Amino acid sequence: MSYESPIRETLVTGGKTYADVTNDILRPLEQKATKSWWIGFTLSALVLALWIGATTYTVLVGLGAWGINKTVGWAFDITNFVFWVGIGHAGTLISAVLLLFRQKWRMSINRSAEAMTIFAVICAASFILSHMGRPWMAYWPVPLPNAFGSLWVNFNSPLVWDVFAISTYFSVSLVFWYIGLIPDIASIRDRATTKVRKFVYNFFSMGWNGSTRTWHRYEMISLILAGISTPLVLSVHSIVSMDFATSLVPGWHTTIFPPYFVAGAIFSGFGMVLTLLVVGRVVLKQENYITMGHLDAMCRIVMLTGSMVGLAYITEFFVAAYSGVEYEQYAFINRAFGPYWWSYWTMMTCNLIAPQVFWIKWARSTPWFIFLMSIVVNIGMWFERFVIIVTSLHRDFIPSSWSMYTPTIVEVSILIGSFGLFFTLYFLFCRYLPTINMAEIKSIIPTHHADHGHGQAAHGEHAKKGDAVHG
Amino acid sequence: MENKNKYWKGLEELNNDPKFLEQKRNEFAEGIPLEEVLTEQDGELTSNRRDFLKYFGFSISAVALAACNKTPVKNAIPYIVKPENVTPGIPNWYASTCGACAAACSILVKTREGRPIKIEGNDQSPLFQGGVCATGHASILGLYDNERFQGPKANGNDVDWNTLDAKITAALGSAKNIRIISGTINSPTTKKAIAEFTAKYPSAKHITYEAVSNAAMIQANAKAFGKAVVPGYNFDKANVIVSFGADFLGTWISPVEYTKQWVKNRRLTEGKTSMSRHIQFESTLSLTGSNADVRIPIKPNAEGVALISLYNKIASMAGAPALPAPQNIEFAANMIENTAKELWNAKANSIVVSGSNNLDNQLLVNAINSLLGNIGNTIDLDNISNQKYSEDGAFESFVNDLSNGAVDAVIFYNSNPVYSYYNSKKLEDALKKASVSISTNESPDETSSLCKFNAPDNHYLESWNDAEPRSGYYGLTQPTISPVFKTRQAQESFLKWSGNDTDYYTYLKNNWQSALLGGSDQAWNKALHDGFHTVAAKASQSYKMASLPAEAVNPAYQAYTATKDKIELKLYTKVGMGDGTHANNPWLQELPDPISKATWDNYAAIGKATADKLNLKDGDVVKISFKGGSIENLPVLIQPGQASGVVAVALGYGRNSGGKVAKYVGKNAYPATSFNGSTFRYANADVTIEKTGDDYKIAHTQTHHTIEGRNLIREASLKEYIKDPKAGNHFDAHIISLWSERDSKGHKWGMAIDMNACTGCGACVVSCNAENNVPVVGRKEILRGREMHWIRIDRYYRFKDKDGRSATREKNFAGSALSKPNEALIDNSVDSTTDFENVAVQFQPVMCQQCGHAPCETVCPVLATVHSSEGLNHMAYNRCVGTRYCANNCPFKVRRFNWFKYRANDDFDFYMNNDLGRMVINPDVTVRSRGVMEKCSFCIQRIQAGKLMAKLENRVVKDGDIKMACQQSCPSNAIVFGDMNDPNSEISKLFKNERSYTMLEEYNVQASVKYLTKIRNVDDAIAGEYKSKGHDGEHKEHNEKAHQKAEHHS
Repeated sequence: MSYESPIRETLVTGGKTYADVTNDILRPLEQKATKSWWIGFTLSALVLALWIGATTYTVLVGLGAWGINKTVGWAFDITNFVFWVGIGHAGTLISAVLLLFRQKWRMSINRSAEAMTIFAVICAASFILSHMGRPWMAYWPVPLPNAFGSLWVNFNSPLVWDVFAISTYFSVSLVFWYIGLIPDIASIRDRATTKVRKFVYNFFSMGWNGSTRTWHRYEMISLILAGISTPLVLSVHSIVSMDFATSLVPGWHTTIFPPYFVAGAIFSGFGMVLTLLVVGRVVLKQENYITMGHLDAMCRIVMLTGSMVGLAYITEFFVAAYSGVEYEQYAFINRAFGPYWWSYWTMMTCNLIAPQVFWIKWARSTPWFIFLMSIVVNIGMWFERFVIIVTSLHRDFIPSSWSMYTPTIVEVSILIGSFGLFFTLYFLFCRYLPTINMAEIKSIIPTHHADHGHGQAAHGEHAKKGDAVHG
Repeated sequence: MENKNKYWKGLEELNNDPKFLEQKRNEFAEGIPLEEVLTEQDGELTSNRRDFLKYFGFSISAVALAACNKTPVKNAIPYIVKPENVTPGIPNWYASTCGACAAACSILVKTREGRPIKIEGNDQSPLFQGGVCATGHASILGLYDNERFQGPKANGNDVDWNTLDAKITAALGSAKNIRIISGTINSPTTKKAIAEFTAKYPSAKHITYEAVSNAAMIQANAKAFGKAVVPGYNFDKANVIVSFGADFLGTWISPVEYTKQWVKNRRLTEGKTSMSRHIQFESTLSLTGSNADVRIPIKPNAEGVALISLYNKIASMAGAPALPAPQNIEFAANMIENTAKELWNAKANSIVVSGSNNLDNQLLVNAINSLLGNIGNTIDLDNISNQKYSEDGAFESFVNDLSNGAVDAVIFYNSNPVYSYYNSKKLEDALKKASVSISTNESPDETSSLCKFNAPDNHYLESWNDAEPRSGYYGLTQPTISPVFKTRQAQESFLKWSGNDTDYYTYLKNNWQSALLGGSDQAWNKALHDGFHTVAAKASQSYKMASLPAEAVNPAYQAYTATKDKIELKLYTKVGMGDGTHANNPWLQELPDPISKATWDNYAAIGKATADKLNLKDGDVVKISFKGGSIENLPVLIQPGQASGVVAVALGYGRNSGGKVAKYVGKNAYPATSFNGSTFRYANADVTIEKTGDDYKIAHTQTHHTIEGRNLIREASLKEYIKDPKAGNHFDAHIISLWSERDSKGHKWGMAIDMNACTGCGACVVSCNAENNVPVVGRKEILRGREMHWIRIDRYYRFKDKDGRSATREKNFAGSALSKPNEALIDNSVDSTTDFENVAVQFQPVMCQQCGHAPCETVCPVLATVHSSEGLNHMAYNRCVGTRYCANNCPFKVRRFNWFKYRANDDFDFYMNNDLGRMVINPDVTVRSRGVMEKCSFCIQRIQAGKLMAKLENRVVKDGDIKMACQQSCPSNAIVFGDMNDPNSEISKLFKNERSYTMLEEYNVQASVKYLTKIRNVDDAIAGEYKSKGHDGEHKEHNEKAHQKAEHHS
């Protein structure tokens, strides 16, 4: 089924057999929930309750519950929105782009990355709703045929593009993820011991029977969806960036935004994937599937995209200086040296400077350090959006209207709470669905065919020595 | 063609078959067999199961459907008998006179369905020319104040008027010695009514008491010219105006009248090239000072010596005897010498005024005016002003008499001295001893709540009244609504108590007929229609002061030298809040102070140098102690332009009664006033300031105070303007557009704002609030930057550094990086190189600029904000989902978001939170719901009304038909609105004026609001020389400017 390069490192270590794969990956689903799962889930659910409380309060009282004002109309809300949309990016990149480029190492991480995408987009969508003055009218930016007369949406508005971009992205990601899950769900169904379990997984397996025809169709649809998803990787965040780029606000009105935002999104997405997997592979005992090789590869991507983002930061300064536009120049100097200088330098440190440590091999191969760095990346990318939004708005054209922005406890609660939403969903996912694509991973485990040279035994030995690298 | 064919449903119809006709009457061919279905036979229903289920289902779903829709209860009461002249939806206008203060401006009151909703200026009035100040606009809200007395009270219990009258007449009958305390009364008929009262009770004496007194001027005029009057001032006749602390554009005597006069010689639109020269000597930056060409900060106690020195300088030029001064003082840049020269050159056509309540200072002012021959021309002692006739000495002895029991009965006629008297404890104790105490005050305030009898007066909009604000000019007040509560006109009460049962309308009319109108009904009707009546002015005579006020010299020098190094306290009144009478008015509390842009508070204004010396910064809470008391817990505000060694505190705050809005806003500074034997004093020469260690945030609507070198404000000096009318306005933007130009057929509305005329007084802000139902949000929300005003007046400071270089950028990284060569930076450090006392102030009213290429329109996802065919930027509240992108993308930041529900919400307990308060709401303007964006609409309801009126009259809209709320009563006529497509309209002419520019022209947003550059009558070069044109004109110009400045100052 697949060709193993004699000089490439193996992607799955530990000499796993097909049965081992199934047993390993389904263990968290089939045994009783562990204590650590319960602790994690309860904690997340509590934080989710905070989110529900704070969001409900906002909807009941009005956006006055937040710290935004006449000058700074967006702050935590849109910062969080862009942050979560960005996080979602790695999922699509891994599942679609890497699939098309036949990067097989993606197979052990794409499932959880895609799940992360979906949950992150749900978090992001929640901010689209809650940032509205009248969230109960949230369907109005959708071009629905209606009985209100000749009301229609404004296709000039980047917010309408956003609605299309995010909803397309979400639905395609969801379908892609679900299609990928079908063979695995069928496996769970087949191994199910209780009636309820059998019924539910049977329902969601959509009659999968493992025939050649189903496999054929599965692969075709995966490829097609990958093709559809690939432009989305670029389009979604390009369009999100246009929420800013098409405006007049100095600091937003920048043509560099689309590529810069895409790079930033991939950067933050991989940051989050690392956060989840560095912990997850240990807790779920998947070290043989998500190997140090995976972490190493992702660290390299983080370093690359971080540097790209950093380049964009510096380019913006150059363009502002070169443009001769006073307002633009002021906006950028104010960003770095104005009252919000600390947020700018947090962003610079976390996004441009910190990832440079991944030039060092030790940094890429030390899980606790990678985890630490992934948190730094997440913080940096959150601050990037905060810097773009708040520092640009708070001092724009007319000095009389300049103001400062301070978040309220409600906004902070919603930000923290959104992590509760995310992790609650993620914990449920870990408990009820396989976090690694079993069907695909089975295609890349080393086989027993003698003519392939690399036998299982050899791998096993290497693995035991703790040496993940071949050749 | 009408179809004449007739069709029949069948032969039955053609034949008029009776059976058919019978059936035709019934809507349902078959009857509803309800009874049939429900009839029982033999214990069973006759209908079958099917029918039963059918009807059962129908009824269930019908009930369910009916239950789905909860019909809200709405109380709309139609007219059963339609009142004459009231057509729902059509406003009625009544000419009346404003009763907010004694200036008594002529106004028009707009009523809708019988309720007054808006005050506008009466532009036919020769005296006020259609101007109304912020307080006047806001006074309509007082009518709908549900905390007013709702009826008469005796000893705190509700009684009816007959009972009260009986009790009061009995009490007054046995009273030994009666006093009536009131503010200035310039109503001839009220005076007559009071005279009837004092005739009936011979012991009764009427004492005029003003919270902020002007007694010194009256005493000085009596002493100097034998006339105890406030003269009529003619600022329009003055080429040189010198004011010593008189805030005549803001709060002094009759600000609207004076603004109209002042602006006449400031406006440069009709090809004029001359302007009056305005020099202001003052302690704290006032509205007038901020509009002066030259401003010299002086301590209050330096005023006397400055006046003496000025007198002596002029006297030496005139060859007149000098005052025996030890030495003449001089300020920086020889300002006294120069002022003297300018005054002397403009003799007879100059004016010197002082706001001081110090007799000596007023005498010196009289001496100067007399020497210059101004009296009889710019100062008119024959056609006098009837405001601020305070009898400080008489009031002082009243308090003593009341305490020692010599006076046992007192009537407070709309006067609240327990709040505003410096020793209010003494008055309070004395008042408790009085056997009869009556108040006619409208609300339970500090004084009226101590009185035994409350005979509440009507609001002036419910009253008949008259006024004579200036000799020969009579204003008439007519009621525009029947009394909301069981209140009665105070004049009628006085008449009742003096045994005269005439109603006040008849009394007033008879008085006018006999005294003014020669019995003519026609003249009465005309006066009622016009709202005013004028009689020919007397010839204005020239008066000369007989002797020099030599006695003023020594005290002035003593005070000057004794307090030279001490901190002096200056008490002033703020525009809008004034003496505190209207403190319960949320519109006025929320009106940003024109200078500090602070709302909902007073504060200790201190200059930068003094604050540094005392180690104080913005927001530090201090205690100001003076002999005999202190003002506690005042926050510090660093005020540019303030004289060093002076702390200024506004009066009118710190009410502890008088309504929930008034209560506890700011701190009461009246205890710091004093009585010096002849007048009340509003300055205290020796105070100490202590830091309490607390912090307090003052709610400002503007927190950044300088323009940062941006070309949004453009100005030039008069000399530069004469040389090049476009001076300061050479910023030719290079415009590229992605959008196609809009079709501009029909009307295209635009607005022009003359920054030379705008004084920044804030009348437009309150007018707009009233017109457009702009909610009040309170201090906390303003602290969070969420005021809702649709129009704001930006105020910027420009400083000079010690070398005289101009500075508009703050000294920080951005300022240093972006400043032009030789431009100074504003240094806020302790050893500052910036001269914070030498400040130039710029005002710029900003409302929605109604951009042609509006940045807000393109970003709205739901088309809630769209362009109209008349060049307006519309806002459809119902469509708005509240993404706030439009506000972010608005470069002018004029959009306002409804963060909360501001009406019927206890968190915003202002007028929109009660039924009575909501009566002021303009029915032509939607009250916005929570979560939607709003902004200036260019008073779209007025545009529509103007167009409809033209249509009804079968004509096109004429220029001037439609006036914006901000424009209509602007005291300086700074705002012009009109159709840009009409080549003959005033706006078209102004748009072609060399001085006109739009903000952010280079962004090609195509604003429909143009500003006219501010021209100052100063010697400095402001605009700089303009030489080059071309692609980068803007850049070169900046450099030119900078070089020019460097040359000029080197």
